[in-house]
Amino acid sequence: MAVTVRIPTPLRKFTDDNETVSAEGGTVQEAIVSLQSQYPALKERLCDDSGNLRKFVNVFLNDEDIRFQDGPATAVKDGDELSIIPAIAGG
Amino acid sequence: MSSPDRYHRQQLLPDLGPAAQQRLAAASALLVGCGALGTVIAESLTRAGVGRLVVVDRDLVELTNLQRQVLFDENDVRAATPKAIAAQRRLGQINSGVTIDAHVADFNPTNAERLAAGCDVIVDGTDNFETRYLLNDVAVKRGTPYVYGGAVGTQGMMMVILPAPFPSPCKGEGEGEGLNVLARHDTPQHSPSPRPSPSREREYEPGPCLRCVFDSPPPAGSAETCDTAGVLGPAVGIVANLQATETLKLLTGNADRVNRRLVTIDPWRNTLRQLDISNAYQPGACPCCGGRRFDYLDGDRASRTFTLCGRNAVQVAAPANGANGGDVVDLAPIAARLTSHGNVTHNDYLLRAELTERDTKYQLTLFPDGRAIVHGTDDATTAKAIYTRYVGL
Repeated sequence: MAVTVRIPTPLRKFTDDNETVSAEGGTVQEAIVSLQSQYPALKERLCDDSGNLRKFVNVFLNDEDIRFQDGPATAVKDGDELSIIPAIAGG
Repeated sequence: MSSPDRYHRQQLLPDLGPAAQQRLAAASALLVGCGALGTVIAESLTRAGVGRLVVVDRDLVELTNLQRQVLFDENDVRAATPKAIAAQRRLGQINSGVTIDAHVADFNPTNAERLAAGCDVIVDGTDNFETRYLLNDVAVKRGTPYVYGGAVGTQGMMMVILPAPFPSPCKGEGEGEGLNVLARHDTPQHSPSPRPSPSREREYEPGPCLRCVFDSPPPAGSAETCDTAGVLGPAVGIVANLQATETLKLLTGNADRVNRRLVTIDPWRNTLRQLDISNAYQPGACPCCGGRRFDYLDGDRASRTFTLCGRNAVQVAAPANGANGGDVVDLAPIAARLTSHGNVTHNDYLLRAELTERDTKYQLTLFPDGRAIVHGTDDATTAKAIYTRYVGL
Protein backbone atom coordinates (compact mmCIF):
# COMPACT_ATOMS: atom_id res chain seq x y z
CA MET A 1 0.00 0.00 0.00
CA ALA A 2 1.29 3.48 -0.79
CA VAL A 3 0.31 6.24 1.60
CA THR A 4 1.20 9.91 1.70
CA VAL A 5 2.81 11.19 4.88
CA ARG A 6 2.48 14.89 5.63
CA ILE A 7 5.57 16.22 7.38
CA PRO A 8 5.16 19.16 9.78
CA THR A 9 7.40 22.19 9.27
CA PRO A 10 9.78 21.53 12.19
CA LEU A 11 10.62 18.08 10.76
CA ARG A 12 11.07 19.10 7.14
CA LYS A 13 14.73 19.76 7.73
CA PHE A 14 15.03 15.97 8.04
CA THR A 15 13.10 15.26 4.80
CA ASP A 16 15.02 17.50 2.38
CA ASP A 17 12.26 20.10 2.86
CA ASN A 18 9.62 17.78 1.43
CA GLU A 19 6.15 18.57 2.75
CA THR A 20 4.86 15.13 1.79
CA VAL A 21 6.64 11.82 1.50
CA SER A 22 5.33 8.59 -0.02
CA ALA A 23 5.60 5.53 2.25
CA GLU A 24 4.80 1.85 1.87
CA GLY A 25 3.05 -0.45 4.34
CA GLY A 26 -0.17 -2.16 5.37
CA THR A 27 -0.28 -0.52 8.80
CA VAL A 28 0.65 2.83 10.27
CA GLN A 29 3.67 1.21 11.93
CA GLU A 30 4.94 -0.17 8.62
CA ALA A 31 4.44 3.17 6.92
CA ILE A 32 6.41 4.92 9.68
CA VAL A 33 9.24 2.41 9.33
CA SER A 34 9.20 3.00 5.58
CA LEU A 35 9.36 6.73 6.17
CA GLN A 36 12.25 6.36 8.59
CA SER A 37 14.19 4.15 6.21
CA GLN A 38 14.01 6.93 3.62
CA TYR A 39 14.97 9.62 6.14
CA PRO A 40 16.87 7.96 9.01
CA ALA A 41 17.31 11.23 10.93
CA LEU A 42 13.55 11.21 11.56
CA LYS A 43 13.74 8.05 13.62
CA GLU A 44 14.98 9.64 16.81
CA ARG A 45 12.47 12.46 16.45
CA LEU A 46 9.46 10.19 16.07
CA CYS A 47 10.24 7.09 18.13
CA ASP A 48 11.89 6.18 21.42
CA ASP A 49 14.63 3.57 21.79
CA SER A 50 12.07 0.75 21.73
CA GLY A 51 10.65 1.99 18.44
CA ASN A 52 7.40 3.26 19.96
CA LEU A 53 6.04 6.60 18.84
CA ARG A 54 7.00 9.33 21.28
CA LYS A 55 4.23 10.69 23.48
CA PHE A 56 4.35 14.17 21.99
CA VAL A 57 4.10 12.82 18.43
CA ASN A 58 0.52 12.71 17.21
CA VAL A 59 -0.24 10.78 14.04
CA PHE A 60 -3.54 11.22 12.28
CA LEU A 61 -4.78 8.79 9.63
CA ASN A 62 -6.76 10.97 7.28
CA ASP A 63 -8.45 13.20 9.89
CA GLU A 64 -8.47 10.92 12.92
CA ASP A 65 -5.87 10.27 15.63
CA ILE A 66 -4.50 6.72 15.37
CA ARG A 67 -4.29 6.42 19.16
CA PHE A 68 -8.05 6.12 19.21
CA GLN A 69 -8.15 3.63 16.40
CA ASP A 70 -5.79 0.64 16.62
CA GLY A 71 -2.69 2.70 17.34
CA PRO A 72 0.36 1.83 15.23
CA ALA A 73 -1.42 -1.38 14.14
CA THR A 74 -4.16 0.63 12.42
CA ALA A 75 -4.55 -0.63 8.87
CA VAL A 76 -3.90 1.74 5.99
CA LYS A 77 -5.02 1.47 2.41
CA ASP A 78 -3.77 2.87 -0.87
CA GLY A 79 -4.12 6.62 -1.07
CA ASP A 80 -4.54 7.19 2.67
CA GLU A 81 -2.92 10.23 4.18
CA LEU A 82 -0.91 10.10 7.40
CA SER A 83 -0.23 13.41 9.13
CA ILE A 84 2.28 14.02 11.88
CA ILE A 85 0.80 16.84 13.95
CA PRO A 86 2.84 18.49 16.68
CA ALA A 87 1.33 21.00 19.09
CA ILE A 88 2.33 24.56 18.18
CA ALA A 89 4.14 26.65 20.79
CA GLY A 90 4.38 30.14 19.31
CA GLY A 91 2.00 32.99 19.62
CA MET B 1 -19.33 56.53 25.13
CA SER B 2 -22.29 54.28 25.68
CA SER B 3 -25.07 53.92 23.19
CA PRO B 4 -27.20 50.97 22.15
CA ASP B 5 -25.93 51.63 18.62
CA ARG B 6 -22.45 50.45 19.47
CA TYR B 7 -23.32 46.75 19.16
CA HIS B 8 -26.10 47.14 16.59
CA ARG B 9 -24.36 45.28 13.75
CA GLN B 10 -23.43 42.43 16.07
CA GLN B 11 -26.93 42.20 17.51
CA LEU B 12 -28.41 41.80 14.05
CA LEU B 13 -26.90 38.31 14.08
CA PRO B 14 -29.55 35.74 15.06
CA ASP B 15 -27.53 34.21 17.93
CA LEU B 16 -26.33 37.54 19.32
CA GLY B 17 -29.42 39.52 20.21
CA PRO B 18 -29.80 41.82 23.22
CA ALA B 19 -29.94 38.94 25.72
CA ALA B 20 -26.67 37.51 24.40
CA GLN B 21 -25.11 40.98 24.50
CA GLN B 22 -26.15 41.37 28.14
CA ARG B 23 -24.70 38.00 28.96
CA LEU B 24 -21.42 39.02 27.34
CA ALA B 25 -21.40 42.28 29.29
CA ALA B 26 -21.72 40.28 32.52
CA ALA B 27 -18.88 37.90 31.62
CA SER B 28 -15.18 37.87 32.49
CA ALA B 29 -12.38 36.47 30.36
CA LEU B 30 -8.82 35.73 31.41
CA LEU B 31 -6.31 36.36 28.62
CA VAL B 32 -2.83 35.09 29.36
CA GLY B 33 -0.21 36.51 27.02
CA CYS B 34 -0.67 39.73 25.09
CA GLY B 35 1.52 39.31 22.03
CA ALA B 36 0.51 38.43 18.48
CA LEU B 37 -2.39 36.21 19.51
CA GLY B 38 -3.28 38.15 22.63
CA THR B 39 -3.54 41.61 21.11
CA VAL B 40 -5.92 40.40 18.40
CA ILE B 41 -8.03 38.43 20.89
CA ALA B 42 -8.14 41.36 23.31
CA GLU B 43 -9.19 43.78 20.61
CA SER B 44 -11.94 41.47 19.30
CA LEU B 45 -13.38 40.79 22.75
CA THR B 46 -13.20 44.45 23.75
CA ARG B 47 -14.92 45.65 20.60
CA ALA B 48 -17.56 42.93 20.99
CA GLY B 49 -18.35 44.17 24.51
CA VAL B 50 -17.09 41.60 27.00
CA GLY B 51 -17.69 42.81 30.55
CA ARG B 52 -14.24 42.33 32.00
CA LEU B 53 -10.97 41.30 30.43
CA VAL B 54 -8.08 40.25 32.66
CA VAL B 55 -4.83 40.65 30.69
CA VAL B 56 -1.66 39.05 32.00
CA ASP B 57 1.68 39.55 30.26
CA ARG B 58 5.25 39.64 31.50
CA ASP B 59 6.99 41.37 28.57
CA LEU B 60 7.71 44.86 27.30
CA VAL B 61 6.83 46.16 23.87
CA GLU B 62 9.78 45.78 21.48
CA LEU B 63 10.30 46.99 17.93
CA THR B 64 10.13 43.44 16.54
CA ASN B 65 6.59 43.10 17.97
CA LEU B 66 5.06 45.83 15.80
CA GLN B 67 4.92 43.67 12.66
CA ARG B 68 2.00 41.71 14.12
CA GLN B 69 0.98 42.84 17.61
CA VAL B 70 -1.90 45.08 16.70
CA LEU B 71 -2.41 47.11 19.89
CA PHE B 72 1.11 48.55 20.07
CA ASP B 73 2.97 51.39 18.35
CA GLU B 74 6.36 53.07 18.20
CA ASN B 75 5.68 55.17 21.29
CA ASP B 76 5.30 51.99 23.32
CA VAL B 77 8.66 50.77 22.01
CA ARG B 78 10.40 54.05 22.88
CA ALA B 79 8.93 54.03 26.39
CA ALA B 80 9.55 50.29 26.88
CA THR B 81 5.96 50.05 28.08
CA PRO B 82 4.85 46.71 29.51
CA LYS B 83 2.51 45.02 27.03
CA ALA B 84 -0.29 44.63 29.56
CA ILE B 85 -0.22 48.37 30.29
CA ALA B 86 0.03 49.43 26.65
CA ALA B 87 -2.86 47.10 25.81
CA GLN B 88 -4.98 48.40 28.68
CA ARG B 89 -4.46 51.97 27.49
CA ARG B 90 -5.35 51.22 23.88
CA LEU B 91 -8.33 48.98 24.75
CA GLY B 92 -9.68 51.72 27.00
CA GLN B 93 -9.66 54.08 24.02
CA ILE B 94 -11.48 51.52 21.89
CA ASN B 95 -14.26 50.70 24.36
CA SER B 96 -14.41 52.49 27.69
CA GLY B 97 -17.34 50.30 28.74
CA VAL B 98 -15.08 47.27 29.18
CA THR B 99 -13.16 46.77 32.42
CA ILE B 100 -9.56 45.91 31.60
CA ASP B 101 -7.56 44.44 34.48
CA ALA B 102 -3.91 44.59 33.48
CA HIS B 103 -1.29 42.48 35.25
CA VAL B 104 2.38 42.93 34.41
CA ALA B 105 3.28 39.50 35.68
CA ASP B 106 4.53 36.07 34.81
CA PHE B 107 1.60 33.65 34.85
CA ASN B 108 2.92 30.81 36.98
CA PRO B 109 1.74 28.30 39.59
CA THR B 110 1.96 30.86 42.39
CA ASN B 111 -0.61 33.22 40.88
CA ALA B 112 -2.47 31.13 38.29
CA GLU B 113 -5.53 30.23 40.33
CA ARG B 114 -5.86 33.68 41.84
CA LEU B 115 -5.83 35.29 38.37
CA ALA B 116 -8.33 32.75 37.02
CA ALA B 117 -10.77 33.25 39.90
CA GLY B 118 -14.08 34.62 38.75
CA CYS B 119 -13.30 34.19 35.06
CA ASP B 120 -15.77 32.38 32.81
CA VAL B 121 -13.24 31.44 30.16
CA ILE B 122 -9.45 31.24 29.82
CA VAL B 123 -8.02 32.39 26.49
CA ASP B 124 -4.54 31.49 25.37
CA GLY B 125 -2.27 34.24 24.07
CA THR B 126 0.96 32.66 25.29
CA ASP B 127 4.08 31.70 23.38
CA ASN B 128 5.31 28.63 25.24
CA PHE B 129 4.20 25.14 26.21
CA GLU B 130 4.87 25.39 29.92
CA THR B 131 2.32 28.16 30.39
CA ARG B 132 -0.18 26.37 28.14
CA TYR B 133 -0.04 23.15 30.12
CA LEU B 134 -0.40 25.26 33.27
CA LEU B 135 -3.47 26.95 31.75
CA ASN B 136 -4.88 23.50 30.94
CA ASP B 137 -4.33 22.39 34.55
CA VAL B 138 -6.08 25.48 35.89
CA ALA B 139 -8.95 25.10 33.43
CA VAL B 140 -9.55 21.43 34.23
CA LYS B 141 -9.18 21.97 37.97
CA ARG B 142 -11.71 24.78 37.97
CA GLY B 143 -13.98 23.45 35.24
CA THR B 144 -13.42 26.60 33.19
CA PRO B 145 -13.34 26.39 29.37
CA TYR B 146 -9.92 27.02 27.86
CA VAL B 147 -9.40 28.22 24.29
CA TYR B 148 -5.97 27.02 23.10
CA GLY B 149 -4.29 28.66 20.12
CA GLY B 150 -0.75 28.58 18.79
CA ALA B 151 1.00 29.90 15.71
CA VAL B 152 4.49 29.89 14.29
CA GLY B 153 5.88 30.36 10.81
CA THR B 154 2.88 30.45 8.52
CA GLN B 155 0.81 27.89 10.38
CA GLY B 156 -1.43 27.78 13.39
CA MET B 157 -3.67 25.60 15.50
CA MET B 158 -6.78 26.11 17.61
CA MET B 159 -8.71 23.89 19.98
CA VAL B 160 -11.36 24.52 22.61
CA ILE B 161 -11.05 22.59 25.85
CA LEU B 162 -14.39 22.06 27.57
CA PRO B 163 -13.68 20.44 30.94
CA ALA B 164 -16.25 18.82 33.16
CA PRO B 165 -17.52 21.21 35.83
CA PHE B 166 -15.49 20.72 38.95
CA PRO B 167 -15.28 23.80 41.17
CA SER B 168 -12.06 24.02 43.09
CA PRO B 169 -12.38 22.81 46.68
CA CYS B 170 -10.32 25.75 47.89
CA LYS B 171 -12.56 28.74 47.62
CA GLY B 172 -10.57 31.65 46.31
CA GLU B 173 -11.63 35.17 45.71
CA GLY B 174 -14.54 35.26 43.31
CA GLU B 175 -14.82 31.50 43.36
CA GLY B 176 -17.93 30.27 41.64
CA GLU B 177 -18.77 33.63 40.20
CA GLY B 178 -19.98 33.73 36.70
CA LEU B 179 -20.12 30.00 36.03
CA ASN B 180 -23.72 30.30 35.07
CA VAL B 181 -22.87 32.75 32.36
CA LEU B 182 -22.28 29.73 30.18
CA ALA B 183 -25.78 28.42 30.60
CA ARG B 184 -28.15 29.30 27.82
CA HIS B 185 -31.06 29.78 30.18
CA ASP B 186 -30.89 31.90 33.25
CA THR B 187 -30.46 29.86 36.37
CA PRO B 188 -30.38 30.93 39.99
CA GLN B 189 -26.94 31.50 41.48
CA HIS B 190 -25.68 28.55 43.44
CA SER B 191 -23.19 28.81 46.23
CA PRO B 192 -19.79 27.29 45.48
CA SER B 193 -19.55 23.60 46.09
CA PRO B 194 -16.43 21.44 46.35
CA ARG B 195 -18.14 18.69 44.35
CA PRO B 196 -19.43 18.66 40.81
CA SER B 197 -22.93 19.94 41.02
CA PRO B 198 -25.53 18.59 38.64
CA SER B 199 -27.53 21.73 39.27
CA ARG B 200 -24.91 23.78 37.45
CA GLU B 201 -26.45 23.95 34.08
CA ARG B 202 -24.01 23.41 31.28
CA GLU B 203 -24.86 23.41 27.69
CA TYR B 204 -21.92 21.39 26.53
CA GLU B 205 -20.72 17.83 26.96
CA PRO B 206 -17.17 17.77 28.34
CA GLY B 207 -14.45 16.96 25.83
CA PRO B 208 -10.73 16.21 25.70
CA CYS B 209 -8.25 18.45 27.50
CA LEU B 210 -4.91 19.55 26.05
CA ARG B 211 -3.17 16.54 27.63
CA CYS B 212 -5.73 14.11 26.19
CA VAL B 213 -4.67 15.24 22.73
CA PHE B 214 -1.03 16.27 23.31
CA ASP B 215 0.07 14.16 26.24
CA SER B 216 3.22 16.17 26.89
CA PRO B 217 5.09 19.02 25.26
CA PRO B 218 8.11 18.24 23.12
CA PRO B 219 11.50 18.64 24.82
CA ALA B 220 12.72 22.21 25.33
CA GLY B 221 14.40 23.65 22.29
CA SER B 222 12.87 21.17 19.84
CA ALA B 223 9.74 23.14 18.93
CA GLU B 224 9.89 26.11 16.64
CA THR B 225 9.50 29.56 18.13
CA CYS B 226 8.50 32.82 16.48
CA ASP B 227 11.98 34.17 17.28
CA THR B 228 13.77 31.43 15.39
CA ALA B 229 11.33 30.35 12.69
CA GLY B 230 9.62 33.69 12.11
CA VAL B 231 5.91 34.28 11.99
CA LEU B 232 3.41 35.61 9.46
CA GLY B 233 1.25 38.30 11.07
CA PRO B 234 -2.02 37.42 9.30
CA ALA B 235 -1.59 33.71 10.13
CA VAL B 236 -1.47 34.49 13.85
CA GLY B 237 -4.39 36.85 13.32
CA ILE B 238 -6.50 34.07 11.84
CA VAL B 239 -5.82 31.77 14.80
CA ALA B 240 -6.50 34.61 17.26
CA ASN B 241 -9.79 35.45 15.60
CA LEU B 242 -10.81 31.79 15.63
CA GLN B 243 -10.09 31.85 19.37
CA ALA B 244 -12.05 35.06 19.83
CA THR B 245 -15.00 33.59 17.93
CA GLU B 246 -15.09 30.48 20.14
CA THR B 247 -14.77 32.69 23.24
CA LEU B 248 -17.74 34.78 22.13
CA LYS B 249 -19.81 31.61 21.63
CA LEU B 250 -18.99 30.53 25.17
CA LEU B 251 -19.75 33.90 26.72
CA THR B 252 -23.02 34.55 24.90
CA GLY B 253 -24.81 31.30 25.71
CA ASN B 254 -23.92 29.71 22.38
CA ALA B 255 -21.68 26.93 23.65
CA ASP B 256 -23.62 24.46 21.52
CA ARG B 257 -21.97 26.08 18.52
CA VAL B 258 -18.41 25.61 19.78
CA ASN B 259 -16.06 23.90 17.33
CA ARG B 260 -15.15 20.55 18.90
CA ARG B 261 -12.37 19.75 16.44
CA LEU B 262 -8.67 20.55 16.30
CA VAL B 263 -8.27 23.22 13.64
CA THR B 264 -4.97 23.54 11.82
CA ILE B 265 -4.30 26.20 9.22
CA ASP B 266 -1.51 27.28 6.95
CA PRO B 267 -2.80 30.18 4.89
CA TRP B 268 0.53 30.45 3.08
CA ARG B 269 0.27 26.88 1.81
CA ASN B 270 -3.50 27.14 1.42
CA THR B 271 -4.51 24.45 3.88
CA LEU B 272 -7.23 24.40 6.49
CA ARG B 273 -7.96 21.14 8.26
CA GLN B 274 -10.25 20.13 11.07
CA LEU B 275 -9.20 16.98 12.87
CA ASP B 276 -11.61 14.81 14.81
CA ILE B 277 -10.47 14.62 18.44
CA SER B 278 -13.75 13.47 19.99
CA ASN B 279 -12.30 9.99 20.61
CA ALA B 280 -9.44 11.54 22.56
CA TYR B 281 -11.79 12.15 25.47
CA GLN B 282 -11.17 9.10 27.60
CA PRO B 283 -11.01 10.61 31.07
CA GLY B 284 -9.85 7.33 32.61
CA ALA B 285 -6.66 7.51 30.57
CA CYS B 286 -5.72 11.15 31.11
CA PRO B 287 -3.62 12.08 34.16
CA CYS B 288 -5.09 15.58 34.16
CA CYS B 289 -8.82 15.47 33.43
CA GLY B 290 -9.12 11.81 34.45
CA GLY B 291 -6.70 11.49 37.35
CA ARG B 292 -7.03 15.15 38.37
CA ARG B 293 -3.26 15.33 38.67
CA PHE B 294 -2.10 18.86 37.93
CA ASP B 295 1.59 18.45 37.23
CA TYR B 296 2.13 21.94 35.89
CA LEU B 297 0.17 23.66 38.64
CA ASP B 298 1.27 21.63 41.61
CA GLY B 299 4.94 21.85 40.95
CA ASP B 300 6.19 18.61 39.44
CA ARG B 301 6.76 20.29 36.13
CA ALA B 302 6.81 23.91 37.16
CA SER B 303 10.16 25.62 36.79
CA ARG B 304 11.49 28.76 38.33
CA THR B 305 13.52 29.73 35.30
CA PHE B 306 12.46 29.88 31.66
CA THR B 307 14.89 30.05 28.81
CA LEU B 308 13.37 32.43 26.31
CA CYS B 309 14.23 30.40 23.25
CA GLY B 310 15.93 32.18 20.41
CA ARG B 311 16.27 35.37 22.37
CA ASN B 312 19.45 34.61 24.26
CA ALA B 313 17.64 35.40 27.48
CA VAL B 314 16.43 33.67 30.61
CA GLN B 315 13.59 34.66 32.87
CA VAL B 316 14.17 34.12 36.57
CA ALA B 317 11.09 33.99 38.80
CA ALA B 318 11.45 35.68 42.15
CA PRO B 319 12.14 33.29 45.01
CA ALA B 320 9.61 35.15 47.09
CA ASN B 321 7.02 35.81 44.41
CA GLY B 322 4.25 36.18 46.94
CA ALA B 323 1.08 34.16 46.74
CA ASN B 324 -0.74 37.45 47.01
CA GLY B 325 0.92 38.46 43.75
CA GLY B 326 1.67 41.94 45.04
CA ASP B 327 4.79 43.91 44.31
CA VAL B 328 7.67 42.74 46.43
CA VAL B 329 10.62 44.74 45.14
CA ASP B 330 11.31 48.46 45.51
CA LEU B 331 13.17 49.28 42.30
CA ALA B 332 14.59 52.70 43.22
CA PRO B 333 17.14 51.57 45.83
CA ILE B 334 18.27 48.73 43.61
CA ALA B 335 18.73 51.17 40.73
CA ALA B 336 20.85 53.38 42.96
CA ARG B 337 22.93 50.40 44.00
CA LEU B 338 23.53 49.23 40.47
CA THR B 339 24.66 52.54 38.98
CA SER B 340 28.25 51.77 39.89
CA HIS B 341 28.07 48.60 37.74
CA GLY B 342 26.80 50.15 34.53
CA ASN B 343 24.06 52.11 32.85
CA VAL B 344 20.79 51.83 34.81
CA THR B 345 17.33 53.17 34.01
CA HIS B 346 14.09 52.58 35.84
CA ASN B 347 10.45 53.61 35.95
CA ASP B 348 7.40 52.41 37.87
CA TYR B 349 7.24 49.18 35.91
CA LEU B 350 10.80 48.03 35.50
CA LEU B 351 14.48 48.53 36.08
CA ARG B 352 16.99 47.93 33.33
CA ALA B 353 20.71 47.59 33.95
CA GLU B 354 23.59 46.97 31.54
CA LEU B 355 26.06 44.75 33.31
CA THR B 356 29.44 43.37 32.29
CA GLU B 357 30.79 40.17 33.75
CA ARG B 358 33.98 38.51 32.55
CA ASP B 359 33.90 40.61 29.40
CA THR B 360 30.37 39.48 28.61
CA LYS B 361 27.59 42.03 28.46
CA TYR B 362 24.27 41.22 30.10
CA GLN B 363 21.12 43.21 30.37
CA LEU B 364 19.06 42.72 33.50
CA THR B 365 15.42 43.78 33.42
CA LEU B 366 13.80 43.61 36.84
CA PHE B 367 10.09 43.95 37.55
CA PRO B 368 8.40 44.99 40.81
CA ASP B 369 7.04 41.46 41.30
CA GLY B 370 10.65 40.32 41.69
CA ARG B 371 10.86 38.65 38.30
CA ALA B 372 13.83 39.37 36.05
CA ILE B 373 14.79 38.75 32.46
CA VAL B 374 18.51 38.33 31.89
CA HIS B 375 19.54 39.02 28.29
CA GLY B 376 22.95 37.86 27.09
CA THR B 377 22.73 34.23 28.11
CA ASP B 378 20.55 31.20 27.53
CA ASP B 379 21.95 29.40 30.54
CA ALA B 380 19.58 29.30 33.51
CA THR B 381 22.37 28.98 36.06
CA THR B 382 24.24 32.01 34.76
CA ALA B 383 21.02 33.99 34.78
CA LYS B 384 20.21 32.92 38.31
CA ALA B 385 23.72 33.83 39.42
CA ILE B 386 23.41 37.31 37.95
CA TYR B 387 20.02 37.71 39.57
CA THR B 388 21.31 36.63 42.93
CA ARG B 389 24.40 38.83 42.64
CA TYR B 390 22.72 42.05 41.56
CA VAL B 391 19.23 41.79 42.95
CA GLY B 392 20.04 39.73 46.00
CA LEU B 393 16.68 38.24 46.91
